[in-house]
Amino acid sequence: MKFINLLKKELSELINVQMIASLVMIVAMFALIGSVASDAIDDIKESTKTAKINIIDRDETEFTDELISMLKDTKGVTLKEFNTEGDDYAELLKANKVDNLIILPEGFTETFESGKTPRLISITRMKSASTMSNVTSGNDSAIYMINDVIYDIITKNAGLTEEQVELMSSPVEVTENTVVDDKSAEIASGSIISKLSFQSSFLPIVIFMLIMMTTQSLMNAISSEKIDKTLETLLSAPISRGSIIGSKMLAATIIAIINAGVYMFAFSKFISTAADPDIVEKAVGTLSVDDALVKLGLNLSAADYVLIGLQLFFTIMICLSVSIILGALANDAKSAQNLLLPIMFLAMVPYFVSILMDINELPTVVKYVLYAIPFTHTFSAISNLSFGNMGLFFGGLIYQVIVFAVCMFFALRLFKSDKILTISLNLGQKSKFKKKKGQPEDE
Amino acid sequence: MEKVLEVKELSKQYNKVLAVDKVSFDIGAGEIFALIGPNGAGKTSTIRMISTLLTPTSGDAFVAGHSAKDEPEKVRECITYLPDEAGAYKNMVGLKYLQFMAGLFFTDIDKINAAVERAKGICCLGDRLNDKIGTYSRGMIRKLLLARAVMTRPKLAILDEPTSGLDVLNALEIRKTIKKLAEEEGMSFLISSHNMLEIEFVSDRVGIISKGHLLLTGHIQDIKEKYQAANLEEVFEKVVNGNEVH
Repeated sequence: MKFINLLKKELSELINVQMIASLVMIVAMFALIGSVASDAIDDIKESTKTAKINIIDRDETEFTDELISMLKDTKGVTLKEFNTEGDDYAELLKANKVDNLIILPEGFTETFESGKTPRLISITRMKSASTMSNVTSGNDSAIYMINDVIYDIITKNAGLTEEQVELMSSPVEVTENTVVDDKSAEIASGSIISKLSFQSSFLPIVIFMLIMMTTQSLMNAISSEKIDKTLETLLSAPISRGSIIGSKMLAATIIAIINAGVYMFAFSKFISTAADPDIVEKAVGTLSVDDALVKLGLNLSAADYVLIGLQLFFTIMICLSVSIILGALANDAKSAQNLLLPIMFLAMVPYFVSILMDINELPTVVKYVLYAIPFTHTFSAISNLSFGNMGLFFGGLIYQVIVFAVCMFFALRLFKSDKILTISLNLGQKSKFKKKKGQPEDE
Repeated sequence: MEKVLEVKELSKQYNKVLAVDKVSFDIGAGEIFALIGPNGAGKTSTIRMISTLLTPTSGDAFVAGHSAKDEPEKVRECITYLPDEAGAYKNMVGLKYLQFMAGLFFTDIDKINAAVERAKGICCLGDRLNDKIGTYSRGMIRKLLLARAVMTRPKLAILDEPTSGLDVLNALEIRKTIKKLAEEEGMSFLISSHNMLEIEFVSDRVGIISKGHLLLTGHIQDIKEKYQAANLEEVFEKVVNGNEVH
């Protein structure tokens, strides 16, 4: 009953209008970005299907006429011809009110007929540094098609049959196979990597958010009791210190899970609206990617998810135990913020490393330094379980349990001792009065 | 007189600093005892040890017969503590704060409600109890905290600087409340203060502490006569300065 009373108070302190508003904002923001990105992707896909080619023919030969005529006849191509003079490319785009332009320069046919490689000029307007705003298939498609047409003309002139032409275009048929340990599947490894990275792209974000929010919640809960001078009143009430710290830990965990859940939901919404399903489906070979994952043993079973959950649980527990110590050290809001930095650093390093590279492939010293950070094992959990590195997974889990036990031992010792009231790290501001070591403010 | 608090040779050492050195005194039922002394004299350390917040280096304090060292949870059931410059949860409404604090002392909802009703009567904050504590003035917070400290009818209420930072009228009101609770309900108080006027007005006995040593205890009238002093301030000056000379 007393514990519930404490837990209710902790939750009411943590769940406030600002927190709810920020969560709503996050969901709305991800949904909005997803929708905008989705529209942009639709535009790109549409432009891929209907290539808009703008062309200036300055060679004006039968060959270039035939080339343009063949491009016009190609399905999905909208071709516009211009006759503007001049070499100022910006002016050419402006005068013709287009964003991309192909110029077949004078001598194009002559060069081709002399057996040399003819040169054409491609002009594209760059509007911004954004990836999506610069994606335009007009010139790329035009160049690809012109190459194709010239290739056809050369092969026809050489008197080759259609079969020979096809053989020349793809002389070797590749059956791609991917092997994981002793299992293999008929699929390109690139497809598997695309699918896996697509699937696991948001879990590290959720882990990172969980680490940061759990730590921040409990640190604030403890440091604010010290800063607002409510801790002494609470500690002198007839309730055990274990209950006080337990209620704070549970409330911080509940809030962290709510936050992680909302982030996960918002991010999955973003992925589902913004991501192009073709990105994954494009690379499908004779086997579907999902089937290939099962065949290669890369799909996660229910037991694997339980193990990931277990590791996530110990990650949160480590954060909570460390937060008790850090929260007790803070004696003002600035100190509390500064004390959060080491945790942020320890979470960010494995977060970025796990996204960019395989930790096991790193040099030995770097690898062990990373493994010494308990959060590294959580970030690499999916990879370890997927690729059957069970020794690494369970080694990491045992290491996390040990780190948690050590941190919790010191945290409880600190909270149950006089030090919870007497120690502090004055990181927020310069101390006005020098105190003797270990002595409280007022004796 | 039944002893509510017995402090026996209580000491506290912080690394090389001996903050409290073998302090002994006692408080009877319905008595108001004031611990007075200059800054850094050891008042707060003594109070914190009695409140079970700090562990004594040696000696012990017994509240209603329970040892602060060996039975801290039993002691906490018998006391309430109002720290110097104590705050309350700013985002909490006054009434919720009282309910929350009462819920730490009782599990029975009737007892919780009774304690809250009593606190409402003592603090006299009326409808402001429905407002967030963050909107309260310093005086209002102190009244709320005093009401919180006495609403559970503790055997011993420990008040560190109960009127610090308050204006004359608010301070007077709080002193009257303390005196009334001791006289009418037999509640015992251990008060720490710098304000000699307040101590003379409110307390029955005083203890003067300096540099961790309890130099003197006694009834105010008796010690004034002993030191041939007009008021407590003069006694304080003579005792503390006299101790420094010798």
